[in-house]
Amino acid sequence: MFQPLDPLLHSELRLAVMSLLISEEEAEFPYIKEQTGATAGNLSVQLDKLSTAGYIEVEKTFKGKKPCTICRITPAGQKAFEDYIQVLKTYLNV
Amino acid sequence: MNMTAERSLQIITEQIEKSRRAVSKVTGQSLFVSGLCTMGMAILIAITNFILIKNAIAGFGHLLWLVLPLIIWLFMRKYNKERAHTPVSLVGSMVAKTWSTFAWFVIGYFIIALIWGFVAMRMLKLEEYVATNIEVTPVIVLLMGMAITITGHILKQRWLIIFGIVAGLGCFVWEHFGCGQTTVMLLTGQPHLDLHFAAIASTLPCLTIFIFALVGLMLPGLMLKKQK
Repeated sequence: MFQPLDPLLHSELRLAVMSLLISEEEAEFPYIKEQTGATAGNLSVQLDKLSTAGYIEVEKTFKGKKPCTICRITPAGQKAFEDYIQVLKTYLNV
Repeated sequence: MNMTAERSLQIITEQIEKSRRAVSKVTGQSLFVSGLCTMGMAILIAITNFILIKNAIAGFGHLLWLVLPLIIWLFMRKYNKERAHTPVSLVGSMVAKTWSTFAWFVIGYFIIALIWGFVAMRMLKLEEYVATNIEVTPVIVLLMGMAITITGHILKQRWLIIFGIVAGLGCFVWEHFGCGQTTVMLLTGQPHLDLHFAAIASTLPCLTIFIFALVGLMLPGLMLKKQK
């Protein structure tokens, strides 16, 4: 009997964002957009969902005079990602 | 929820790999800039030493090494300002910390060697001064080789690891046992006390650093930058 995968992470874009943030201390919105190939609108929605779940924290700041959005993974997000990987292993028999 | 487990694994692997590549490129740029600055400085110091020793002033050109970290920092600051949206990553910060540790040790060691050289020159006899003189270049190349090897481990680049070990130890032996000076002496047939020999010999540590910076910093930097 397989355990269910975390539905919040089991989405292409949200999983890509979490995979990206897991190896970065922090990343700016344009970088995440570039690396995932997502549209700005879709990415904003998915970041909001991850942020609401407490998996990431989103800091809105300024870089010079330009607004800048910085995303960081939280300890809860790291734990959720690790759990997701553990369950994924059972699906893949590894 | 129509995504398969295989697709999930593929997404995770792809994103982590993309992130590693982005960091490698930034690290490559830092190594490249540091290499170019070090090579430029080595040439400048070699010329300065060569001119100064002809006027019977020995080794003062080496003081210019103290400016090198500032020059590299200024170039990197300019690059970081122009660089678009590259994140702070664990791998990147590990590489940065490795090289900042290297810089602190080198600067500290260099200053200690300078102060000791200054004091010993005034307080000790010539034989004692020669015996207790702190050689700077061998230790710097050893530390540089270590920093390159650690960088290679962090970035999982085996050639960088091998290069760091071979070049670090090789250049240490070359510099510590005065192989360069012996080679010049054998090639030119000139004695140690000759002014022309001294002028050439004073540029040899710069040549070692130049080659080290070319092969250990600039070329790996270029390869990391161009990595697909």
